[in-house]
Amino acid sequence: MAISLPRRTTSSLRGAKERNDGFDEHRIEHDLAPAVEFSEVSKRFILQHDRPRSFQELAISFLKGNGRREEFWALRDISFAVPRGQSIAVIGQNGAGKSTLLKLIARILEPTDGRLTVNGRVSALLELGAGFHPDLTGRENIYLYSSILGLSRREIVQRFNAIVTFAEMERFIDVPVKYYSSGMYVRLGFAVAIHVDPDILLIDEVLAVGDEAFQQRCLDAIHRFRLQGKTIVFVSHDLAAVQNLCDRVIWLEKGRIHEEGPAYEVIDRYLRYVHRKEQADFPPASFPNERGDGGETGELRKRWGTREVEITGVRFLDGSGRERQIFFTSEPLTARIHYKAHRRIEQPVFGVAVYRSDGLHVSGPNTRFSGYPIEHIEGEGEIDYTIVSLPLLEGTYEFSVACYDQMLQHAYDHQHRLYTFRVRTGRLHERFGLIYTPCRWEHRPLAVDHPVKV
Amino acid sequence: MTKSQGGWSLGFGHWDLVIEIWTLVVMSLGYRLRELVTYRELIRNLVIRDLKVRYKKSVLGFLWSLANPLLMMLVFTVVFTIMIPNNTIQKFPIFVLCALLPWNWFSTSIMGSIQSIVSNANLVKKVYFPREVLPLSAVLSNMVNFLLALVVLFGMILVFQIPITMWAALLPVVIFTQFLFTLGLGFILSTLNVFYRDTGVIMDVFLLAWFFLTPIFYPIDILPTQRVVLGLNLDIHRLVRWVNPMASLIDTYRLILYGTPDGAPPGQPAFDFLLRTLVTALVVLAIGYLVFVRYSRVFGEEV
Repeated sequence: MAISLPRRTTSSLRGAKERNDGFDEHRIEHDLAPAVEFSEVSKRFILQHDRPRSFQELAISFLKGNGRREEFWALRDISFAVPRGQSIAVIGQNGAGKSTLLKLIARILEPTDGRLTVNGRVSALLELGAGFHPDLTGRENIYLYSSILGLSRREIVQRFNAIVTFAEMERFIDVPVKYYSSGMYVRLGFAVAIHVDPDILLIDEVLAVGDEAFQQRCLDAIHRFRLQGKTIVFVSHDLAAVQNLCDRVIWLEKGRIHEEGPAYEVIDRYLRYVHRKEQADFPPASFPNERGDGGETGELRKRWGTREVEITGVRFLDGSGRERQIFFTSEPLTARIHYKAHRRIEQPVFGVAVYRSDGLHVSGPNTRFSGYPIEHIEGEGEIDYTIVSLPLLEGTYEFSVACYDQMLQHAYDHQHRLYTFRVRTGRLHERFGLIYTPCRWEHRPLAVDHPVKV
Repeated sequence: MTKSQGGWSLGFGHWDLVIEIWTLVVMSLGYRLRELVTYRELIRNLVIRDLKVRYKKSVLGFLWSLANPLLMMLVFTVVFTIMIPNNTIQKFPIFVLCALLPWNWFSTSIMGSIQSIVSNANLVKKVYFPREVLPLSAVLSNMVNFLLALVVLFGMILVFQIPITMWAALLPVVIFTQFLFTLGLGFILSTLNVFYRDTGVIMDVFLLAWFFLTPIFYPIDILPTQRVVLGLNLDIHRLVRWVNPMASLIDTYRLILYGTPDGAPPGQPAFDFLLRTLVTALVVLAIGYLVFVRYSRVFGEEV
């Protein structure tokens, strides 16, 4: 029973809740062999830069001498097991080896080293509709694609109507697929792949297709899949979806397993890691070295004003006063504005504005509207603008800062959208819209005897 | 396992390769063949796809595949009986059609299977299925065409009043032998084309040469048994039969369906030659399949 142990320990809170416990117990007896098992699997690609692609080139390279060969280990010593019925996500940055791992499970690639066992029928949602032939009708393509995925004729006939209904293709089923819209194409592809009824489903970033209603149906189908106790291996950059779908997460970093564990914990640490890395790659917006005046920043970013007061820089600080570029939703954010007044200015007004990267004006407070009058300024100083709990959802935002006279008529220094900060949603599950509003839900079912109190 | 990853390099003659091939034969061949059987529906659908796509676009549809050899037959007949009239071959249209139909099946299958992996690259890179299905279905879909064309051939045979004898019953054996040989060659060439994309171009020329080296529009007996080439005394007739399995096959088709050029009815083929061709075909298929199995592992990366 050694193998069933990790399953019990790693099944997350949500997983345990959703599954009927008796059902779970029953399954464990059959779960002796994991659905997918990697033991010290490595995958090497040989990048040969001048590799001859034809006999002609082969003859030429004979005369010239061989091209350079370069080894690239996409995966190195990967060991893990996915027990049956578990959903596991593979996360990591681009080039970490996620897709290679998925292709190994799908048997499209073979490992260079190590052992890889897969128990059960695999269906891969790697590229939907990859097997469609444009000249054939939807009906013919359903037959073709299902058989590519390994179904027998009888199985295809059994599933045919369900596939057509799921894809909402009743009217177009006898039209060649070359006349389909890309949405229809993908819908049909997904419908076939999900109806193969695999034991193991591989999903690679394919959920970002179709309209929202269809996406929802795909997610529902995948959820049903989980409830049936099937195994899912999921690769995605969409961490919210990962949290929704998966019990366990494997974090790959440069072809090796960096960390493996319950979804929430690993994703949290992964986000922190990415955050730190981005901080390093994307240095804080420091003092603008006249970049606002240069043409390189384009028309959207501007700086104007008489410069009697000069705003010399803006720094974004977190709750503990550390400078950051990336903030999590509902964290405090402080914009520290440094100024230098070349003469004494009476009753100046400092203002800021937040824009979403697509230009939407999110907010634009200033010291006067906020009822925070400043007597006068002279020489250098700083103004802190603090958002107590950042309401913005995931995205990149631009920040304007300005200093005006009391009547807001005369600009001393206006720096329009010159600063950038990013927001990550982090632990929150909110994905839709622009802002996060702390809220509460309540549910009161209507009972016959108890009229509802309004 | 580790040593097998020579990547694309076609390095024959290594001992580890020999050992590995042996392991492959013992360990995985049975499994692979069983897997192939479970994918029979895919083979069927690929054949149907090939045929449908081929005929969907043309107005005459499938009639073209019948018209093509008939027109070819007409060309050969015009050339060899009207333009070059001094030939003594009786019922020349049937003489040439008996050979032309199997040859067409062979050459279209070879060209089809060469492209089969590369032209399905989107599938090979995205979905797992036994790769041998692709060249196999290329050969099979052309075989369907061939079988349909055979119906026309039999019609023509009746028109030309050539007797259909018991020897025609050997036809399935000959077809089967040709199928094995074509498939074996298709496996090798489709693999080669994944690594060297001009295989198809080279084979185009090669097939043309092969066409002339095969007794299609001339009887095999026309070939000299003694000929001095570059100081060597060669038995061309024997050589062609020995080296070219297609020559034996086509000669057999002709013998059992048409007879001999002097007007004799269909008769008994040379069984020893037929048997030898069958063995050759099996060897080619075995080698082809092993090459294919070994290199199809990297198709997902190379194609």
